[in-house]
Formats: sequence, C-alpha cells, structure tokens
Amino acid sequence: MVLILGGFYCVMGILPLFFANTAHIMNILIMILIWAVVASCWDVIMGFAGIFSFGQVAFYVIGAYASAILSVSLDIPPVFAIIMAGVITGVLGVIVGLPCLKLAGPYVALVTFAVHMTLIPFLKGPLGRAIGSGGSQGILTIPPINLLGVAFSSEHLVPFFYLTLFLTIICTLILALIIKSYWGTAFLALKDSENFATSLGISAFKYKLMVFAITSFITGLFGALYAHYVGMLSTKMLSMDVFTILMIMMVIGGIGKYPGVVVGAVVTVTISQLLAPLGMYRPLIMGAMVVILVLFLRDGVIGLAQKISPLQRKFG
Amino acid sequence: MKTLKFLVASLAIFMFVGPWAFAAETIKIGVPLAMTGAYAGSGDNYWKGIEMATNEINQSGGLLGKQIEIIRFDSQEFAPEIVMQGADYLCGKMKVSSIHAGWAGWGQDIRAYGKYDAPFFCDDGAMPSVDVYKSDPEKYYNTYFITDTGGDQANSMFNMLTALPYEYPNKKIVIINTDDTWGMEVGDTLSKRFKKIGWKVAKRETVPYGTNEWGPILTKVRRINPAIIHIEIPSSQEVITFFRQFIKKPTNSILSYGWSITPLEVLATMGKDADGIVGEMPAGMPAPVAPNPKAQAWVDKYMDIYKHAIPAGSWIAYTGVMAWADAVTAVGDEYNFKAVNKHLKEAGYEGLQGMIKFGENNTWHAQPAAPIVHYQVQNGQLVALYTDPPIKPYKDYKFQVPRWIKK
Repeated sequence: MVLILGGFYCVMGILPLFFANTAHIMNILIMILIWAVVASCWDVIMGFAGIFSFGQVAFYVIGAYASAILSVSLDIPPVFAIIMAGVITGVLGVIVGLPCLKLAGPYVALVTFAVHMTLIPFLKGPLGRAIGSGGSQGILTIPPINLLGVAFSSEHLVPFFYLTLFLTIICTLILALIIKSYWGTAFLALKDSENFATSLGISAFKYKLMVFAITSFITGLFGALYAHYVGMLSTKMLSMDVFTILMIMMVIGGIGKYPGVVVGAVVTVTISQLLAPLGMYRPLIMGAMVVILVLFLRDGVIGLAQKISPLQRKFG
Repeated sequence: MKTLKFLVASLAIFMFVGPWAFAAETIKIGVPLAMTGAYAGSGDNYWKGIEMATNEINQSGGLLGKQIEIIRFDSQEFAPEIVMQGADYLCGKMKVSSIHAGWAGWGQDIRAYGKYDAPFFCDDGAMPSVDVYKSDPEKYYNTYFITDTGGDQANSMFNMLTALPYEYPNKKIVIINTDDTWGMEVGDTLSKRFKKIGWKVAKRETVPYGTNEWGPILTKVRRINPAIIHIEIPSSQEVITFFRQFIKKPTNSILSYGWSITPLEVLATMGKDADGIVGEMPAGMPAPVAPNPKAQAWVDKYMDIYKHAIPAGSWIAYTGVMAWADAVTAVGDEYNFKAVNKHLKEAGYEGLQGMIKFGENNTWHAQPAAPIVHYQVQNGQLVALYTDPPIKPYKDYKFQVPRWIKK
C-alpha cells in the first residue's frame, strides 16, 4: 500500500514540471487528486466497513455548498469556510449514520441515497434559496482561496495543484492509518461477522458512527475545495453521471482493495476526459469497461496485480 | 532482395511521414456541445447548423484558402469542471480559432472560455450567463450570446399571447415550468407581465425534468379552467405526455408551449394531434415558407440533408459560424483575435434574413434579421403566425382556434 501510494504521489508531484503550461492536463491532474480522496472515503465506508452508503456524492455536494454559502453569504475567508464545511459535513454524516446503525445493508443504501435525492429539491427550493444556495441557478461567484497572498483557483493551476496534493497526501495518510490500525481491523471484523466482532468487545455503534463522521468530514472538505476551484456550483453536481463515474472508480480499483481506488480514479478521470471528444462513445466504452471488469476482474486492478505478482504465484 | 527492402522502407516512411507531410493546413474550430446526457438532443440541433456551415465553406474553397477542421468535445451536462476541461482542451491544447457551442451552460462556460481570446459563440439563454459577462465585460470580450435570455423571450411570448385574434373567456393563466434557471426565468417573467395587466396567475407549478404523470396537476387545472396554460419545459417527453393526458378531458384553454414546441420529437411524435398548440423559437427561421428566396434555399437544403424541419438552434448556430468566417475573411488572419472580435462587434453580418448585429452585452437580441418566431401547429407542422420585434403577423398565416376549445 505504502509503495503504491508513495509512488503515485511522487509521480503526481513531478508532473506539473512537464505540464504546467498545459491547462487541460493540469485540470485532469487536479480532478484525479480530488476524486482519488472522495473515492477512497467511499471505499473505506463501503469496502472496509461494509456499510452500503450511497450518500458519498451527497456529502461531497454538501461540503461544496456549505463552503460556498459561508464564503459568499457570510464573507468568511475560503480557508476557514473549507474547514467549517468539512465539520458541517462530518456532523451531517453522523446524523445520517445514526438511523443507519439500526438497518441492514440494502436499507442503508436506500436511506443514504434518499439523502442524495432530497438534496436536489432542497437546494433548488425556497429553503435552499433562504440559506443562499442560489436555487436553480446555483452559486456563481465563489471566491478563490487566498493564502499568504497566493491565489489558488482554476486560473492559477499550479498553486492549486500543489495545495490539493498537500491535502490529498494528508487525507490519504489518515485513511491509510485508519485502515492499518485497530480501527481498520475492527471495521473488517464488523463487516465479516458483526455478531462475532461484538462478542469480542468491538462496538458496532462506535465504529460505524466513527467511519461515517471521518469519511464525510474528508469528503466534505474536498467538496469545498472543488467549489473554490471551479468558482461556481449548481445541483448538476448531483447528476447520475457523477455518481456513475465515482462507482466506476471503485469497480476499476477493486472494492475494499485500497489503494486500488486511487488507481481507479486515475484511470477513470483520465479515460473519461480523453474520450470526451468521442461523444456518445465515451459512456459506451466506460460501460463496456465496467462489464468486462465485473465479469473477469472482480477485484479490480489490485486483484489483477495480486494475481500476476511473482510472490503471489509462488506462495499462492 | 535489396529492392524489396528499399520498397518496404519507402512504404514505411510514407506511412509514418506521408500523411503529415502532405496534410494541408487547416483552420481549426472548437465545437463543445452536449453529445451525451439530458441535453444531447439540443446539442445535435446546434451541431447540424455548424456542420452545414463548415461544409458549405469547405466546398466553396475554404476560408482564407484553408479547409475548416472541426474539433468536437462532449460537454455532457455542463458540470463546471467538464466545461473548463473543454475550454482548456480546445483553446489551450488544440489552439482552435473560434468556438461554436450552442447551449453551453449558465455562466461556467463564460468563465472557462473567457480565459482565452478566441471568439466564443454560445446560446445559454439565461440571465446568470449574462451576469457573468457583465461582471467583467473587458475580460469576457470574446463572448457572443447568439439568442436572447429566457426573460426576453418570455416578454415576446406575452406580446404574442396578448396579440392573438382571440377573445379569452376569462383572465386566468396557469404556468408550468421546469425547476432550472430557464424555466424559472420564463415563468417569473410571464407571471409578472400577466399580473400587471390584471390577469390572475391561478396556478404556478414548478416541476423537475422527467415529470410524465400529470394527473394531480391536471385535476387542479380542470377545476380552474384557465384561458391560457403555458408550459415551459425544454424537453420533449414531458410536454408530449402532458398533451396526451390533457386532451383526454381538455379545458377551454390556449395551450402555449413556449420554447417547448421546438424539440424535434414533439411534432415528430404528436403530428396532427398537436394542431392548435402555440410556441416560439428564438432567432428562428419562419416556416413553412421562409421570408425570402435565399432563406428558402437554405431551408430546402437543410431539409434535404437532415430530412426534418428546422429545429431551434440550427439556423442561428449556422449563422454564428458564417458571421465568424465573414470576420476572418475581412481581417485576413484567423488568429488575430483582437481584430476578429472587433469586426464581429462593429461590422455586423449580412445573414439570410438581413443585417444582423450584436447589441448590448454582446448579444444577438431579437431583431428583424434574427426574429423570435411564434408558431402554431397546423396540419402537423409549425406555421409562423408572428415575428418579433416588432410583433407583427407573418405573411398570410392565420391563427386557428384549437379544436378542443368549445364555443
């Protein structure tokens, strides 16, 4: 895991040296970093903790809107707004997580997806407008991040890239530590057999709530970062296209095969962007990729790497 | 053997180098449109106009002696980062000399393409886009709106509805619009205008895309029995299902579909069943007979190529490409963006319906050479009743009282 993540971030770190003047590649690199973290959070909650949460895109959007509203309506500097957005999303994650603790897998999926679905009318309706969501037109004037006199926005791609990379590394480390710690083992135990894990003294309530809080905090943080990157938001962020792209990342990387999902983010964002000139062939190719992976490579690219690695072949 | 080796080597060199060595220089234009997702239908309508214009230019010898090469990009559903990606790809990487977009977003497109200097033609039709432009007109000087906003179009719809040679049985209107910027803008404007002349907006319903079950709303509409029902949903299936459910037990109401009459599938599906519905097309081409022989020749050619009537977006997207080509010809260099933009703003363009000029906020506002056309479906096809501005009857076509209205 350390090898893959270390290698990945080292390579990402030097890419701007070659592509600093190629805006569309810098844009792809930034989106890879953002999606890598958002998808990683989903992998932790679904792949490791075994909670079928379909609210990941919703938490991402909540973070984005929270930061945008705080900075536009209340004039809070973007840096503080982003942190506050993370906290708000984390708290909402706990609130959503509470009823889910009493539910079995498919029902958790229904509850969390209901959060996703109710966000659209909420943000577009009078309640959303009252809190500053901008209704149907969204929020158009989100200020860029300004830190120590340096502007971080879509017009200053290299600074924004390194800011995102810095935050990505921190969040990835947090997620990796969680996975490798006692918490990670507890998640796996609860996923494999909740009754047995509970009999060993692992509190399902505590750990499930914790995973909701942490993943939604980080997801909200990166949603907020995205908002200040693109400078405008609308409820289009809640479209099924975004949801599907995130799901493809998981399938390509392998669910519960962290850090496979990071590789999934690289592959999915790159292919999706490079195929954009092909129009309708883009979703066709992406769809075909998912079908092939699900049929022949259920554990994603990490599963494939494990199968073909010499150590695996030698020791089985 | 040596000869064979030489031949193989020559062939290999030709294969790898030949196509590039002999490739003619082209002028690249960027076409970012919704090719997938909910707006792919309207994206296709713009594409046909753009394709037709470039084919015409190429067949007549090209622009400045060079062929035009189209670089496409799928804007999907206009997520800001996708739009930004499109701008960076087309302008930054492919170095296109102009961008012809059609509907491209609600402001994110202005920001994304405003970073560059190549002329950017869009048909956003929404005030938020114009607001982004107005926030810094110098920065976004290369943006060109090829139609009016929803609010302006709604004003024209109001003018048409109040000019119809028909005595309304009461002063009640029901407005049903989508929950996006376009629908809200049109709904708000119509509501305001009708209230101002003493009408009652008996029901205002804002619905999401995908609403196909109209029973509850129609029950209320039937109770109100309004003089006008205005539907503003720029998508075909919703307006088709509305009509099918409305006509089972119709009220004595004029059915006004606004822009919603123009998606191709509406008439293709409903045919003569839709007779009586009124609607509009911004920067439209009056039909079934065009205003002059030149325009009629264009309509005939379009219908010959694409085998259907002119949908919203095709003609004005065609005109956008032609206006840009005209500016490039005048300047003599497609990459002299400052001069091309200056020419576009100041010189105007002699289009198929006359001289067309960009006005306030770099917009082709409704004008005699690019009018808002108000149609009624008659005998299964769109028949122009009025053009605006000024609102005046078009040729000898007459309004027909819909068959479901009982006297």
